[in-house]
This record gives sequence, structure tokens and C-alpha cells, in this order.
Amino acid sequence: MARSSSPARLVVALSVAAVLAVFLLYTSLAGGGTPSVAPSELDGKTGEVSLVGRVVGTPSGDPHGEGLRFTLEDIEGKQKERVTVIYKGSVPDLFRTGRDLVVTGTRHGDGTFVTTPGSMITKCPSKYQAADSAA
Amino acid sequence: MTVWLVLGAALAVALVVVVALPFLRDPAPSSDSLHELTAAERERLEAQEARDRALAALKELEADHRAGRVSDEDYRSVIGVVRRDAADALRRLDRVEGARAGGAKSR
Amino acid sequence: MADLGRAALLLTLGLSVYALVAGAAAAALGRRRLAHSARNALYASFLSTLVASVVLVAGFVRDDFSLAYVAGHSSRDLPLQYKLSAFWGGQEGSLLLWLLILTAYASLAIWFARRRAADLVVWVTPVLAGIGVAFTWLLVAVSSPFDTIAAPADGSGLNPSLQNPYMVIHPVFLYLGYVGLAVPFAFAMGALLSGRTDERWIVATRRWTIIAWTALGVGQLLGAHWAYQEVGWGGYYAWDPVENAALMPWLVATAFLHSVMIQEKRGMLRVWNVSLVGLAFCLSLFGTFLTRSGIVSSIHSFTQSGIGPWFLAFVVIAVVFTTVMIWLRLPQLRTSARLESLVSREAAFLYNNLLLVALGLTILWGTAWPIVSEAVRGEAVVVGRPYYDFFLRIFGLPLLLLMGIGPLIAWRRASLRGLARVFVWPAGVALATGAFLILLGAGSSIPGLIAYTFSAFVLAAIVLEFARGTAARRALTGESVPAAFGQLIGRNRRRYGGYVVHASIVLLAIGVAGSSAYDSVAEGRLARGESLTVGDYTLTYRALTERDGANATEIRALLDVRRGGEELGTVSAGKNAYSAEQQVSNEVGIRSDLLTGEDLFVIAEQVRDDGAVFFRVFVKPLVNLIWLAGLVFVLGSLITLWPDAREERRLATRYARAGEPADRPAT
Repeated sequence: MARSSSPARLVVALSVAAVLAVFLLYTSLAGGGTPSVAPSELDGKTGEVSLVGRVVGTPSGDPHGEGLRFTLEDIEGKQKERVTVIYKGSVPDLFRTGRDLVVTGTRHGDGTFVTTPGSMITKCPSKYQAADSAA
Repeated sequence: MTVWLVLGAALAVALVVVVALPFLRDPAPSSDSLHELTAAERERLEAQEARDRALAALKELEADHRAGRVSDEDYRSVIGVVRRDAADALRRLDRVEGARAGGAKSR
Repeated sequence: MADLGRAALLLTLGLSVYALVAGAAAAALGRRRLAHSARNALYASFLSTLVASVVLVAGFVRDDFSLAYVAGHSSRDLPLQYKLSAFWGGQEGSLLLWLLILTAYASLAIWFARRRAADLVVWVTPVLAGIGVAFTWLLVAVSSPFDTIAAPADGSGLNPSLQNPYMVIHPVFLYLGYVGLAVPFAFAMGALLSGRTDERWIVATRRWTIIAWTALGVGQLLGAHWAYQEVGWGGYYAWDPVENAALMPWLVATAFLHSVMIQEKRGMLRVWNVSLVGLAFCLSLFGTFLTRSGIVSSIHSFTQSGIGPWFLAFVVIAVVFTTVMIWLRLPQLRTSARLESLVSREAAFLYNNLLLVALGLTILWGTAWPIVSEAVRGEAVVVGRPYYDFFLRIFGLPLLLLMGIGPLIAWRRASLRGLARVFVWPAGVALATGAFLILLGAGSSIPGLIAYTFSAFVLAAIVLEFARGTAARRALTGESVPAAFGQLIGRNRRRYGGYVVHASIVLLAIGVAGSSAYDSVAEGRLARGESLTVGDYTLTYRALTERDGANATEIRALLDVRRGGEELGTVSAGKNAYSAEQQVSNEVGIRSDLLTGEDLFVIAEQVRDDGAVFFRVFVKPLVNLIWLAGLVFVLGSLITLWPDAREERRLATRYARAGEPADRPAT
């Protein structure tokens, strides 16, 4: 321990600095990510968001045509709100009424939520919980 | 339902016996102290590890040099240090073992 | 029967608490019989956990729906293998599996180490017991698999998407990995607690670490294959929080595996090593917490469950304990050995470690960011794929290169001239490969091209090592080439097994680069007779079939495949409609070209009433190398794990002579 500054310490310190620099550079250039919101939190959000909700009602339309139209509602909370989503792209198998999902997109002036194609992710249901009987 | 509770109780008894076994087998031992390594023994162990490490490094360097992984130049620049480490480690072990042997003899 | 199960778990709790308390007391006070008793309690806790597990298995096999857990995850007509795998299909059963593996590993590790490192084992016992207490507490008080209900006529059944062979093996391998990291952790903590500075804890846990690391790696590959074939969205890794939860500890464990080699050879990096193993285990616990608590939204998301806060508490305790122990023992851990040169094998290993840990931490940051941002800004922010891809390249590509440099560079210090001599051939092969690939069009993706070039470098270096070693052996012994080769590996299992593992990682890198940087995709709606072109392939939609299977209606679209004028057969893709569960699953069609390793991946996304189908088709070059890499990985690990009689004898002599007085009774 009497020897002064071994290269190891220097290397570690420089590397940590380098990693932090790369990290900060990336996040400042590419942005921090998309906010994850529920339908009730959509108001006032411009820009791309990740919308999390539960499908209610009956979906209609063609995801590979003019778009699949369905309604998303807040999964939890007292003030549940709904928003109409227009989705184009691949629809995961698990999509159905009552399923929770995440989809990325932006809110349009007419109140609908238009998505980035192919950005739907459904949640794997009842994997660690008993399935609803006769769902 | 009672069958299962009985089985559960039997399991409990069996496992308690297992846990108590060391005390049941040896109720009045001559010594109940855990053999902890004395400072001298610990030092000896570390000296042995250091010796094994140094000798292994020497052997590996020689083998690498023979196989062509290490160039003559690199070999020459490092062999001195490695040999010295090995010698130091051997000397240290001798010293530690000598002390132990000396201690044992004097008992 | 639930009573027996509950009783068994209560027994496990009692035994674990005893092992913890008595074990700690025995170690602190130096009481031999008490220490022995604590060890026995640990073995006994495995037995009682085994009984509880057997009870649960019996419940599944006998369709005992009075057990809420069985009713919730099984049904009468479920095939037997899925009834068995339903054991870990839910939270309570998964925890029980965790505990079973923990107590089994703990018992075995302690049993094997009890003589050679007796004074270390007395401290390891309470640490392992402590981990056991945590999980048993959850099983007894918070989330019991033995809750009873009024038995319904039939159970709810297992989700069809989980009824595949992967469900039988993927979770088991992952758990063998996660839980396995507890062993080196406990031994490291035991070493710190006992104030030892010798390396016995590393020697004792070397194989355990490799087994856990291999299992965790295989588990992840199985998960990737599952995602690729069964879930069928066209990929194998989505940077999902639950996927990352397994990747992070694996990366840190990889770093640990390498840095302990430095400690063994040079006696350096002691503080770093105990920190790494602590980090690996804490990440493993944290990963379990992320997976179970529902705190991060994920495709695997599970409901907000009561065990979230408990798990967080355990992780915090583990982190605090590790930090305090390291801090207390810092003076004893410091060594005088120093890094002599920034160009040496020690330095290469250090860079490898830094890159691996950096990658692990950036993944951790990305995974935990939603939680952090919600707490700080009130809004959960999710990072996307580009974040992970960027850092995987920045850290992963240099790591790939280091895999070729590390094994060949000299210890202590290497001159640049010496380096040039050793690396001239692999570098030449790499550059030639790179140039050739550019001619083939690989320049379309710079990261892909770099990955291929570095891979060529590493493979050339590995081949050279085998060749050089065999030649050196022949020069010494005059054996034939196969004999020399076999003897070479046999006598240097760790080294050459390690090379095989590196080769597997290179194969993985090539497979990943090919299938992600050079893939093609096309989609469109086809009526019968129409065609779609993707890459070199032309697919023509011929027919639509419908068949009633065991529990589902199977709809398949058949396509003819042609490439360059040659007929390649048919591929079918479609959907299964499960009437009972009211669910539809995607059944993708994959045509693997065994010669090139590339896959034609067809998804029938939408089947219209008029028979028109919307297809999405991928061409994934080299993707099958990923699965091949898995096999090579296991082979390499087996080679390094294989017992070496000479090494065993040497270690036995060293530790047996660690001063045992003649009158000491055998433990």
C-alpha cells in the first residue's frame, strides 16, 4: 500500500468516467425515453407516449388496412377514463377485450390516440395468478 | 387429515433428532472447541498458497515460452521477476514451516 | 394433505432459523458440536422442503383441487408433464422451487466443503440459512402454496401459451442459475466473516459458480428460443425487464468468473472479487423482485403481489450486509500485488470486467428507470430498444475483441512487439474476412461488419491456440495429432474448456449480428395464388387448411417457397384457436436452411373470411448459430468442470496439512 497510484486505480477511474460520459452523451442526444401513461393521464401530453390500459368494448377495423379501432380504459384508479386507439401493424395473439396492453403513439387533436405501427405489447395473462374462470 | 398431521409430527421428531445428533452422540466430549486455525497455521496456509501460485506462474511462463506464445524478448524481461517471486515464496514457506517445526520440537 | 405441506414448511422455517442462530453462535464462540448441529439443521431443512414439494407434486398428480394453487394452475385433462411443470407455473410454487434448489445446493456445498474448509464452513452455514429463512418466511406467512379452498369440480387449467416443453425446462434452468449464485456469495461472506484472507472460498466454489453460470446462460437461451418459435413475433430478445433480470446477474457472474482467475494467479483484486459476487447475488435477488412485484410493466407482468415489499427488503438487507462486511475487512483484503502494465493479461481481464459490469449496470439502469422516474418525476418513463442496442454495441464489441486478446497476451507485462508477433495471424485473418465480407455486401451495417471481423479474429486466435498447443505437445511427447490434441485438453481442462466457451460466445455474436443487422422483412395481404418476395425468397400462398386438433382448431396457410428459381418445398403458418380458453395463438412457420443457418420466418398475422391472409415474413441470416452456440457453450462448460485428479490431489495436500492436531475428533 506504500506504492503510489497503481495503474489499476487510474484505469478504473478513467473507465468509470468514460462510461458515464458515453451514457450521458447518449441520453442527452437520444432523449430519456417515452413516458408511460394511463388514459386518464393523457390530457396535455404532447409527443410520443406509452399508453397502458385495458381493452374494453368490441374492437373493429383491420389492423392491416385503415387501422384497428378499440377503446382503452385505465387499469386501476377511481377516475377511469377511456380513449379510442387507432392501431396499425401486428396484433399480438393475446389481444382481446379485457386484456391489458401497452401501445406507443401520440394523441391527436380529435381525441384519438394514433399509434406507432407494430408497437403493441400485450401482457401475459394469468401466468402467476389463477385465470378468471369462464373468462 | 389426521394421517397427515401424524406424518408431519413424525417428520418433525425425526428432523429434531438429526439436529440434536452431535450432542446425543458425544454428550461429554474431551474438547468442544471448534478447531480454528491458529495464526501460525493461517500464515502457513497463505504461504503455501503463495508458493503454489508462484511456482505455477513460473511453470506457465516456461510452457508459454516453449510453445511460442511468449516471445524471447518478453520472456527475458519477465523471467527475472517471476523467478524471484518463486524464490521469495519458497523462502517464506520454509521460514514458516521451520518456525512450526521448531515450536513442535520444543513442546 | 395440505396440513403435511404446511407443517413441512413450518419445519423448514424452524430449522433454518436454528441453523442461522446456532450456526452464528457456534462460529462466534467456536463450539464444535453446535456447528455440527447447525449444519445438520441445514441438511434437514432440505428434507422438509423436499417433503413439502412432494406434497405439492402429489396434489397436482392426484388432481387435488382443494389446494387453491392446484386448482388455479391445473385441470383434469392437462397432460402429465404440464401438471408437473404447473408446480412452478405460479408465484407460490416458484418460491417453493427456489427454496428447494437453495436448500439442495446449500446442503451439497456444505457437505463437500465440510472437511477441507471446516473453519470457513462454520460461517457459511448461517449465511445460507439466512437466505433460506427469507424465502421460507415468504412461503409460510405471505404466499403459501398450501392454501385450501372448497374443491371445485375442475381446475382453471394452464394457459395454452404455457403448454409447451419449454415451460418444463426453461424456469428450472433459470432457477438453478439464480439460486446457484447464492453459494459463492455465501462462501465469500463466510470468508469475510471469519476474517480469512486465503483463497479457499474461491477454490471451494469454483465449480458451483460455473454450474450456476452455465445454467443461467442455458435458461436464457431456452427462453430466447421459446420466444422465437412459440411466441413468434420474429425475434428472440425484447429487452423486457424480466429478460434483463436474468441477463444482469449473468453478465456480472461472467466478470466474476474471470476476475477470480486473476486472484488465483496473482493474488490481486480481492476486494473487487467479493464485491462482484455480492453484486451478482443481489442482482439475482433484485431480478426475482422485479419479476414478482409487478412494479415494472412488462410482457411477463404479474399482478401487484404482496411479496414485492418483502423482496425489496431482502435485497436491501443483502446489499447492506455485503457492503458492511467488505468495509470491515478492507484492511485484511488489501494486497501488495500491483498491476504492472496496462498491456498485460491482468489488464485485459480488468478491461473485460469493467465492460461487463458497465453493460450490466446500463441494463439495470434502463430496467429500473421507470421506477426511478416515477418516484422522482411522478411519471414512469420507459426506455426503448435503441438504448439497449446502443450500449450492447458500445460495450459488447470491445468485449468480443478482448475474448481473442486476453488468452494470448502475457502475464505481468507484454511488449507491443511480442503482441504483434502473437496476433499477426489472427489479425490478418480478421482483416481478410472483413474485406471479403464487404465484397459480399456486409458493409450495409457497420456494427454487423465489425462484429463479424472481430469474431473472425477471435476464432482464428482460438484455432491457433489449439494448433500451437497440440504442436508443442507433439514436440514434447511425439504423440499422434489426435492423441496430442486429446491430452492437451485433458491436462488443461480449464484453459481449453474456456476456449470452447469463448468459441460459443463468438458463434452467438455471429448469430445475433447476422439475424439483427442483416435481416430482411416484407409483409402484405395475399389472396390464394399471390406471391410475396423477401430477400432471395419468393413465397406463393397456395391453400388454407382447417383441422380440429386435441383442444384447438388449427388453421394453416400453406406457401410454396422458391429461391433463385429452385423449389424449396412448403412452409405453413397460421393460428390455433383454443375453444375452452377462448384464446388464439400464433403458430409461425420456420424454414431453416441447414447449410447457411438462415431462417425463413413466416407469420400469418390475419386470416380473413374470404381466405386472404396478411403475411409478415422475415429472412434471418445465421440465426441458427445462436442455438448451436448453446450446445457448444454447454460442451465448453463441461470440459472446464470435469474433475481433474491431479489438481484435486494437490489441493487436498495443501489444505489437509493446514495444521490439524492429532487429538482433534473428526467432524
